[in-house]
Amino acid sequence: MGNKFYTPDGFTDQVPGFCAFKRELEARLRNLFLMNGYDEIETPGVEYFDVYSRFVAEEELYKFSDGKGRLLCTRYDGTIPVARYAAGRNDSLPTRLFYIENMYRAGQIGGGKQSGFTQAGIELLGASGAKSDAEVLALAIKSALELGITDLQVSIGQVQFFKGLSRQLGLSDETIAKIKAAIANRDSVTIEKLDLSREDRDTLLMITESGGTYDTIDQMLPRVTDESAKEALSNIKEILDIMERYGYLKYVSVDLGLIESIDYYTGLVFKGYTYEVGFPIFTGGRYDDVAKTFGKDMAAVGFSISLTLAMTALMRQDKFTPAAGVKVIVGGDFEAAMVTVEALRAEGTAAALDTTGMTEEELDAYAKAKGIETIMYMDGGEA
Amino acid sequence: MLTIALSKGRLADQTLDLMEKAGYDVSAAREKSRKLILEDQNAGLRFILAKPSDVPTYVEYGAADIGVVGKDTLLEEGRQLYEVLDLGVGKCRMCVAGPASLKGKLDEIPNKRVGTKYPNITRNYFEGVKKESVEIIKLNGSVELAPLTGLAEVIVDIVESGRTLYENGLDVLETVADISARLVVNRVSMKMKADEIKPMISKLREALEEGEE
Repeated sequence: MGNKFYTPDGFTDQVPGFCAFKRELEARLRNLFLMNGYDEIETPGVEYFDVYSRFVAEEELYKFSDGKGRLLCTRYDGTIPVARYAAGRNDSLPTRLFYIENMYRAGQIGGGKQSGFTQAGIELLGASGAKSDAEVLALAIKSALELGITDLQVSIGQVQFFKGLSRQLGLSDETIAKIKAAIANRDSVTIEKLDLSREDRDTLLMITESGGTYDTIDQMLPRVTDESAKEALSNIKEILDIMERYGYLKYVSVDLGLIESIDYYTGLVFKGYTYEVGFPIFTGGRYDDVAKTFGKDMAAVGFSISLTLAMTALMRQDKFTPAAGVKVIVGGDFEAAMVTVEALRAEGTAAALDTTGMTEEELDAYAKAKGIETIMYMDGGEA
Repeated sequence: MLTIALSKGRLADQTLDLMEKAGYDVSAAREKSRKLILEDQNAGLRFILAKPSDVPTYVEYGAADIGVVGKDTLLEEGRQLYEVLDLGVGKCRMCVAGPASLKGKLDEIPNKRVGTKYPNITRNYFEGVKKESVEIIKLNGSVELAPLTGLAEVIVDIVESGRTLYENGLDVLETVADISARLVVNRVSMKMKADEIKPMISKLREALEEGEE
């Protein structure tokens, strides 16, 4: 066995200061979600492998077995366990749930990307339509703003648009796979070389280059005949309308090439970006078919934001303040110190008590080393 | 400010030539020094010189916004990037090579041992395309030695002129992929710095098209 005095690859300690800051961010999100009518859920962190096997590559799951030899895995995301829970119940719908939990993803190539990280997210279950989509998107934007991430760009796309368009263009599965890869890579060269009509190629190129709001939709609409592709565009339009009323239109752009996401999305998809981190800080979308896997037909839409990435972004954008520790320490005569420290605590001042019998000089040096601002040294008999 | 990761060596010079042709001032990067980061505030460009196989990593994590790297490295590393432009330089092929006597008989050897610097490309090719299991032996250089010493039956490697192969009695048996240098962009930078990146892509594309004519 190797050295066990370090954390495993891909996992880190949340050290004091950082941990307190993270809890503060969590508290802000918890409050935000509660204010928006969502209830918190905590899933066990361990699931049967079968729960995830249809959605996540085997290599990405940490696996082990229970006492009966059944295969288990650690929590990979928030959505699947929540969908499993909700599908197993007969609650009146819609159900609004949120979570703030650690996720575990194995097999991430290379260093830097964490295998263990914290996500906060919501799931709006049993609700379809653009208004529900918009509620979740708006909450995603609110979450980023609440954390202090104001340099925010959100791309929104629609899975049904590309599906419908491929149908309209009458493409073979092979060509679709090729185009999908090209769009995911923003690789216009491959599209230029495709054996399609000039008009169809232009339509596909417009997808890779889209990035406006209403203008993108308006340019695309006349080119679309497939009904579900048209519906997809009007779904986005309705979402944009609601974003405008929130005053969030400035953050949002339409990216019809946003099709590289996880396969389980069935409608709206979105990603939020900020400076100084190379990955989206939040992702979300509609996933109407997931609950079917767990035996229930239930529309659903949700998003998750990575607190770990958000903290990295805040740090690099100089918006991070490691929370200060305790500011007061009381020492000297133990009886007197105890009475004083309890009085301080009762008033709401965080204070530590010296339990090791330090002299005044020792306590002074200790406080200095720890960054404790106020020292109260009690003389015996005075308190 | 855009950060551009260049693959150390000839590819870096070829990239700078192209950028110059596209109208960018790259004099900062031309400076002969041992500096690893070369910055030009006025031009709004910062160049980093990295080992080719590290370029996709710098770009994926956003340490660099843009990178120029061979398709071989991209295939091997499998990173989440936008691969926006084929720069048409550094052209070569990724091939299965081995003793010339094996030509046309590759499929006859069961349980092949394959020596390579590119284990992922090799696995994807044999398992994904040829639907067969092979034993991959990871090597770090002079891969041609593997079939000559009996370490492996065949190799998967980059072939430019093929001279090293021929001089050692080896030959190309199958082509895995055509390789050339690609312009890659970090997925977040593409959104956050679209005003700088999108014009750069179209200028480079124009410069490339001029070169072709």
